[in-house]
Parts: sequence; structure tokens; C-alpha cells
Amino acid sequence: MSFFTRDSRSFAGGVHPPEGKHLTEDRALEPGPAARELALLLSQHIGAPAQPVVKRADTVQAGQRIGECQAFIGAPVHAPVAGKVKDIALQPHPVLGRSMAIVIETQPLAPPRLCSFERPQGFDPARYAPEQICQAVRDAGIVGMGGAGFPTSVKIQPDAKTPKDTLIVNGCECEPYITCDYRVMLEWTDQVITGIQLAQRACGASKVVIAIEDNKPKAIERMNASLEKLGLGSRIGVVCVRTKYPQGGERQLIRAVLQKTVPTGGIPPAIGVVVSNVQTTAAIADAVVNGRPLTHRVVTVTGEGIPRPGNYYVAIGTPVQALIDHCGGLARDSARVVLGGPMMGLALADLSTPITKAGGAVTILTARQIAKGNSPRQTRCIRCGRCLHACPEHLSPTKIAHAVKSNLMDLAVKYHVSACIECGCCTYVCPANVDLTGYIKTGKIYLARQKKTMPA
Amino acid sequence: MIESIPQDISIAFAPHIRKALSTQRIMLDVVLGLVPAVIVAGVCFRLHGLLLIGVSVASCMATEWACNLIRRKPNSLWDFSAVVTGAILALSLPPALPLWTAVIGAVFAIAIGKMVFGGLGANIFNPAMVGRAFLTASFGILMTTWTVPAPIDAKLPPVAPTNNIMDIRTQATPLAWSKMAMKDGNGARIYNERHPLWPGLLGEEAGSLGETGAIALLLGGLYLVVRRIINVHIPLAVLSSAFAFAAVTYVINPDKYVQPFYHLTSGALLLGAFFIATDPVTAPLTVRGQWIFGILIGGFTMLVRIVGEYPEGFMYAVLLADSVRPLIDMFVKPVPVGGVPNV
Repeated sequence: MSFFTRDSRSFAGGVHPPEGKHLTEDRALEPGPAARELALLLSQHIGAPAQPVVKRADTVQAGQRIGECQAFIGAPVHAPVAGKVKDIALQPHPVLGRSMAIVIETQPLAPPRLCSFERPQGFDPARYAPEQICQAVRDAGIVGMGGAGFPTSVKIQPDAKTPKDTLIVNGCECEPYITCDYRVMLEWTDQVITGIQLAQRACGASKVVIAIEDNKPKAIERMNASLEKLGLGSRIGVVCVRTKYPQGGERQLIRAVLQKTVPTGGIPPAIGVVVSNVQTTAAIADAVVNGRPLTHRVVTVTGEGIPRPGNYYVAIGTPVQALIDHCGGLARDSARVVLGGPMMGLALADLSTPITKAGGAVTILTARQIAKGNSPRQTRCIRCGRCLHACPEHLSPTKIAHAVKSNLMDLAVKYHVSACIECGCCTYVCPANVDLTGYIKTGKIYLARQKKTMPA
Repeated sequence: MIESIPQDISIAFAPHIRKALSTQRIMLDVVLGLVPAVIVAGVCFRLHGLLLIGVSVASCMATEWACNLIRRKPNSLWDFSAVVTGAILALSLPPALPLWTAVIGAVFAIAIGKMVFGGLGANIFNPAMVGRAFLTASFGILMTTWTVPAPIDAKLPPVAPTNNIMDIRTQATPLAWSKMAMKDGNGARIYNERHPLWPGLLGEEAGSLGETGAIALLLGGLYLVVRRIINVHIPLAVLSSAFAFAAVTYVINPDKYVQPFYHLTSGALLLGAFFIATDPVTAPLTVRGQWIFGILIGGFTMLVRIVGEYPEGFMYAVLLADSVRPLIDMFVKPVPVGGVPNV
């Protein structure tokens, strides 16, 4: 249906799930729970896992580097609070199942706090050399906080081969229920802008836009007002994009903002674009200006299955269970605990899974939300083509999924299984209730195992 | 660690929320879309018309139930696809068809048209059209006996006689009429003058149960489009290609060929464009493919009507296009947004 839905501020395809943002959008940031034990996963990012540089029973200080990573694509890990290394062992990991982590027993129990950032008077990003910014970002262990967790220093590093001309700051937050980026835009506006200036300085982009979906008028207004106040209104633009899922997917966002297309299998720098999440830019500001590592992030705890939803400033490594207890415990009818939002988040079986740098939400859904209308039963694919129309990458989800189901991996490749961004739109719309995204993800795992890039 | 798993928390792949629209809801909506046509059938062909529809639907459901029982598969009646097949089959039948014939058609449609392939979603051909094709091949005369609809003939008995077809007052369908006119060479001119633009709008023409009330069909089709149960591409492609075909012939020789609007509103074209060609299972996946599919159906239909021996060819057109559909899907694939990657 591409020619009916063409929109200059959006992309073709996508879906409109119920937003669910009313639960937390007016909840100001609050300090999160003080957990007795934090588990800092050594692999919280894309790339090589960090190696522990502390030993069992070592005492660590707040902000101390405890995991180091030599690989180019990688990030160090820091202790959010002072305490003692209790163990270095396998811990539940939201993506990998189990992964090595440094478990810190906090002592003394640190009082919960909020981020305190003051934009320096007369701040001028030109005072920092690009290399200096990249190094500070690298040392602070900053990774993309919108979900993927790609090391930010790699992203903003100037590269002679692919010069970056545009920096898009992603404030879309298209995933339903989640409001952490929204609150960050409202409450940390100056910090976000400072980070944007630093990121721009580092990557050398001449054009900067902040993209915000049109269901967040207050954030757009606040951003514009702050830019005006700081005299940056002419240099940093705020672009209002259409509210549609997955508008915040970087390929979709680039399409909407610049009307440019990232080649299949390529990454945005290939066309000179860098996309960075708003919370990541806030972390950049904190790292470069104050030298503080990334040890805390804003997490939205939300959903119909939690009594006191809200937006919390949480130490990375805090177990999900601690957050849930802090918000009043699971409601009796809660049926699924999701790390992330309902469209792309990972369902947790083990609530001791720690919060990572990349995960911005814990969504607790009840049976009513996860049900499919009145008829949850699955039928065979009726070939209606709804998944094809919803697919923001113009793939044939049903073809890929059924190829994987029949173990025909060559056919799945022919239908471009690896181009899938796993947004979940196809499963969301499927009237036959076929778990298309699930099959496609499974197919990608099969392929990775075939290529030996993933253990069997 | 394991003890922290709460009992009633489930895990699954994302996404964790689903749009409410289900296969069942789609089929129910198609049934709702057919209601205006069923009402017109009742008005025009009285109790026997409604009986035919009821018997056809009931036989389809019974056949599906029995097939699942034999195949030891779970019951699938709840998805309502058997109801849709039964209703469409009945609406495509001649109004005075004996009820037992409809039962045979319905059993064949579901058993051979759908269940032998594996049930809903696996069939290659539109089940209703398979059933109808079987009846056409088996009961040629019964399948071409067209009752005069009630609005024209007030004396139509409340229950049409089902065994002695000689008793029925019959009338040539508009398409049979157009066929005769074509052979005559100049009959079309008279017909064009006698009937202004829209003949069968309200069901005053002879024809199959559900194909005579153009307005009712348009209403139902519009309902499906507005509810986004079907998209507009297939109906548009079918109707526009048929119209274009007819318009060309009409422009070439208005004495011999009837007006193009006339073709649109008569025969199975409207019923088929909105309810038969749009059957998702047997239609292509992509919009471009759907246009090719629709144009094939419209073109084939008009080819039979104008060049072929039969007055109507929609059924054959759908079955032909269905058999081409896998090829269409193989060649007309969506191109990924970022282009085809070089592997």
C-alpha cells in the first residue's frame, strides 16, 4: 500500500499499536531502588565482551572501572556504587541467556540519587578536541541506550572513508509504553543539547536534527525553547515526525527525516549519517563535561501489571526484581515481564536479570494485553499479505518465516532474512496469529550457526 | 535463580501485543459483507433462494467437520471460512437449482477444493469456484436455467419447484442476451437503447442468486474495503480491466457489442471482484502481483464473454488466474527498502 501511505515525515509500512504512554508520561524522574546486589554484565553491548579487571573480594569505588575491553568495538564496564566484588560468574542475560558478570555487593548501601548535571556557563564544544571527546566517551563505556547497545565512541568517531554530514538525535521513542526518553527530553533538556553539541563536534557533522514523534508536543516545545535560549535555534533543528511504529528505528528515521535510504545490509555511516538516542547524548555530556562514566540510566517501569509505574534513575546492574518490588510488586493478573517495550522487548523468565546500559524499560503486561482480541487461536497463514504491507523494510515476512519453519534456509536467504530489523510489525498484524518475527529470528540464529559466528 | 520465576509469567518472542484482527474476524466480516447480496437474493428469488444459501452453508460446514474428523485434525469450523465458501458458492448458483445439487457442489468445494490440500490457507483454487465448476461440468442444464426474478414476475411461486424445471418461468440472462446479440450482429443497439446505463442495479435481471443486485454487492464490497478486510487493488484491477476490454469492443462496434457498464453490472463480475477474486488464500501477496492477478481475471472474463462460446466466464477466469498465482508470487516479490543486497 506504499502509494497510499507515502508521507514525507514517515516511511512506508509500520503499525499503530496502542501507545500506553499515559501510564508514565507524567511521572517525573525519581531515584530508583538501592539494590543490595548489582550484577554488571560484561557483555552489555555489540562487540567483544569486556574482561574483568577486579578480583573476587576486591573493594570497588563508585565509578571505578571493573571491566576493560581492548577490542575496537567494545566498551568498558564501571561500578555504579561502592562495594565489594562478591563474585564473577554467569548471570542471566536478557539476550544471551547466561553471560559473565561481576556481582557487586553494595556497602554501604548508597542512598538513591538523581543525575545532577549543570551545563557550564558559556559552554563551547570547540574547547574539546574531537579525539578528546571520543576518548572520554570510550572511557565512560557509553553505548547506544536506545536498545541496540552499539559502542558510541565507534559511532561518533570521525572516519576519513565515510565522512558524516548529518547527526540525527533520536527522540522518537516509538515503542509503546516507554517514556524514559520523553522524560529525559523534558527534564534533562540542557544536558541532552550539550551532549548533542559534543557529539556533533566529535563526528564533524554539519547538520544536526532532533527527531521527535508528533505525539510528544511538550518535548518538541521544550527542546525548541531550550535551543532558543542557548542561541542554537539556527544550528540544531527539531523535526516532528509522524507517530508510527517503528519510527525510531534508525533506518526508518533516516528515511523520514532525510528521505535517504540506508542500503540493505549497510549501516547509516555508509550514507554519511549518525543516529544517536537522546539518552546517549545525555550520557556523552556527563562523560565529557564531568568525566562521569555511564553507570546509571533512566528506566521506565510500566504496564498494566504493575501498581506504581514510573520513570526511575537506576543503577545499571540492578535486578529487574528489585525494580518491580520498588513499584509495588507484580499485580495478580500480570502475565509477562518484558525487558524493553511490548513490540521488541525480551520476555524474562528470570527476574534476577540485571538492567543493562541498552535496556530502557521493564514492561509488565497482563493476560488482557498479550491476548489477541477474542480469538487467540492460530490458523494457517491465509496469505492475506498484511505482513508485507506492515513490513517497514518491504520484505515478505510470511515467506521468510515459512521457509525457516520448513528448514529451507536457502529460501529464507533468497527472501532476505538478514535484512529483517525484527521490529515485530508482521507478527503484530498477522490475523492468523503466526509468530512470524519469532521464526525469522530463529532463522537468523540458524544462519549464524551455519556460518559459525555463533555457538550451536 | 530458578525459584525467582513466578508461576504465571509466560515467555514468548516479541512482539508481546497483537492487533485484535483475527482470521475468524476477517471471515465473519466477509459474511457480513455478503448480507446485502443475500437479502437481495431473498427478495428476488424468495424462499428457495434463501434455502439454497442455507443448504450450501450447512453442507460446507458439515463437510469441513467430517473431513477434519477423518484427518484426525482439530475442528476448524470456528474460523468461519466454510461459511464464506458456502455463501459464495450459493450466491453463484442459478436460483432454481435443486437443493441436492447445491449439496453436491458444497461437498465437492470443501472436500476437494480445500480439505485435500490441507485446509484453509493451503488450497490452490478458490473452493467455491471449484464446487461451481464441478456442478457446471456435471449438471449443465440445471446450471444454466435462469429464473425470472420476483420483482419482474410477481406470480413467482413462494417456493420454486425444484424437480420439474419445465415449470419455471425462465429468462435469458443479460449476458446470454448479449451473446445472442453478438451473433445477430445488430441486436446490441436495441438493447443499449432499451436499458440505459445501469441494468441489473437492483436485481431486476435474471442471473445467479447473488449476482443480480449490483448495489447490494457494491455496498458489501465497500464495507469490506472500509473495514480493510480486502484492499481495493484486486477489485479495481478486475473491474477496470474488464471495463477497458468492453469499452474497446463497444467503441469498435456499438451495434454488435453492449455497453461496457452493462458488462460491469451483469454476470458474476461484481460479486467476483469483491468477494471471490479477493480470497486472500488464492490471491498474490504483493500489490503489483494483485494487479496482475486482477487484470488476468478481468481480461479472461471478457475474453470468454466476447470471444468465447459461453456467455459468462468469470469462474474459469478465477480458476485460471489461481493456477497462475504461484508464478506471480515467484516473480513479483517486494524489493527491500535498501535495495537487493549483494551477497
